[in-house]
Amino acid sequence: MSDKILEIKDLVVHYITDKTTVKAVNGISLSLERGESLGLVGETGAGKTTTALSVMQLIPDPPGKIMSGEILYEGQDLVSMEPTQKREIRGNHISMIFQDPMTALNPVLSVGDQIAEVVRLHQKISRAQASIKAQEMLELVGIPGERYAEYPHQFSGGMKQRVVIAIALACNPKLLIADEPTTALDVTIQDQVLDLIEKLMREFGTSLLLITHDLGVVAEICQKAAIMYAGEIVEYGTLKHIYEKTAHPYTVGLFGSVPNLTVDVDRLNPIKGLMPDPTDLPIGCPFAPRCPDVMPRCVASPVPVTEVESGHYVKCVKFLRSEAER
Amino acid sequence: MSEKETTAVTMKKRGQFKDIRRRFAKNKGAILGLGFIVILVVCALIPSVIAPYGFDDQQLSRRFQSPSWNHLFGTDEYGRDIFSRVVYGCRISLTLGLVSVTISCVLGIILGCISGYYGKVVDNVIMRIIDIMLSIPNILLAVSIVAALGTSFFNLMLAIGIGAVPGYARVVRASILSVKEQEYIEAARSNGASDWRIITRHIIPNCMAPIIVQATMSIASAVLSAAGMSFIGLGIMPPTPEWGSMLASGRAYIRDYWYVVTFPGLAIMLTVFSINLLGDGLRDALDPRLKS
Repeated sequence: MSDKILEIKDLVVHYITDKTTVKAVNGISLSLERGESLGLVGETGAGKTTTALSVMQLIPDPPGKIMSGEILYEGQDLVSMEPTQKREIRGNHISMIFQDPMTALNPVLSVGDQIAEVVRLHQKISRAQASIKAQEMLELVGIPGERYAEYPHQFSGGMKQRVVIAIALACNPKLLIADEPTTALDVTIQDQVLDLIEKLMREFGTSLLLITHDLGVVAEICQKAAIMYAGEIVEYGTLKHIYEKTAHPYTVGLFGSVPNLTVDVDRLNPIKGLMPDPTDLPIGCPFAPRCPDVMPRCVASPVPVTEVESGHYVKCVKFLRSEAER
Repeated sequence: MSEKETTAVTMKKRGQFKDIRRRFAKNKGAILGLGFIVILVVCALIPSVIAPYGFDDQQLSRRFQSPSWNHLFGTDEYGRDIFSRVVYGCRISLTLGLVSVTISCVLGIILGCISGYYGKVVDNVIMRIIDIMLSIPNILLAVSIVAALGTSFFNLMLAIGIGAVPGYARVVRASILSVKEQEYIEAARSNGASDWRIITRHIIPNCMAPIIVQATMSIASAVLSAAGMSFIGLGIMPPTPEWGSMLASGRAYIRDYWYVVTFPGLAIMLTVFSINLLGDGLRDALDPRLKS
């Protein structure tokens, strides 16, 4: 096998109810190498969390359904795996940090017990050994081991997120999925938590799939970024590609709406309009109705992906090379 | 290593038990309830030491004597000492209350968990069966169970227990429905926990409050339904002293001799009251969120 730890190929996830079908993820492909970190950026409803839950195989079914595509973890397809095998992988090989630390911890179990529980689920060790391991994990994320027996409500938000990180990393997973790990925290704590994630990643050699809507966070700890829009990846490349050689009009728009410290402007420059209704997506480019550079070709038929330079992929008509494709 | 190991474990144990005890001790009502229950348990264990007379010492010459130092609670229509009968009755009534509540609690929690957690068709099937059970009057259900299985103490407890199952199943299901949507359940699943583990370790501890309340309340109704069953001759057979049947048999004399029904009634009331106090205290002490 190559050194790819995670490879998603043409993943399509729909939420099907009696009345409508929400097309949350529409054929995304991405890959993540060992020790690498990838930022998945997009606005609310772009399908970021659905992608993450698909990797964990935790899409609520019904109504969610993986329609097609493969999710390869170290070459094994997670989608077709047996439930017991999936459980073996969750928490042990792939683990997840949730968005809101306030609700991601069980209020009636002490934090130490919650860390020890994961360890005991995946490693055949005694209760006492597991609690030592849990204590070590607490210390590792900067919480004194004496607070083992305390309950989640006795911790602040930032501390809780540290506990959540300790739970996620307790079994040395090879892949960590962080679903907006800093959204619920204030800026100083955000920075501490990001530093901690980065430090632990380096220590354990963990790969990271970071989901966020904050381009600054991606710039801080990721090597690659994928920009999602309406269930599609519209631009994908290294940080350099995305931040310096921005290609897709949506990405350009995202950067345009971030305040710039060096230029004095009165108003921010938002992208006009709203994301298309995921129950009724257009045939062509979903961004076409809001795009400043829209062409007749955009709305006519689906837009293929172009590799504008090595490792930098864009899904936009502007970059199609041959006239024939246009 | 081993030293660290032991400290970790003891630290955890001591931390939890100490906190629970401290929070429980702060609750005066709970201590009062516990005190009365201890007295009841002692009565149930060694009635012959405490009671001055036997439970079936009949002496018609001293029937319906009012309370005095000789007969603390007076005597009944056969001249039996009511105090002694109340003391002996402790064992029967406590066992009956606790066992039947345990039966209904366990069955109710299992059914409620399955239907609340798995939902869909399973939920529908279980809840419709529960609805059918609810449509049968409790006493009729108990009568048919005892009639089918035969009259015995255990069958009586079983019948009363089964009658109370629907209540538990509904309470448990309702609270599971709200708990299972919490993010920490999803987090537990993302850590690779199995359904069984999620239910037993994450969901049930979070649903304990309504279950405890329901359990303490239904001990009372269990004792009373047993009285009803004894009354129609399917429960405890005379002369075995049982508070409910003492009430039922003293009912005819309530106009002239108040003490025949008052004391067994008081015993039931105080038992229920103290169990409720204890249950409330336990619920508060076991909930770490209320720690102050």
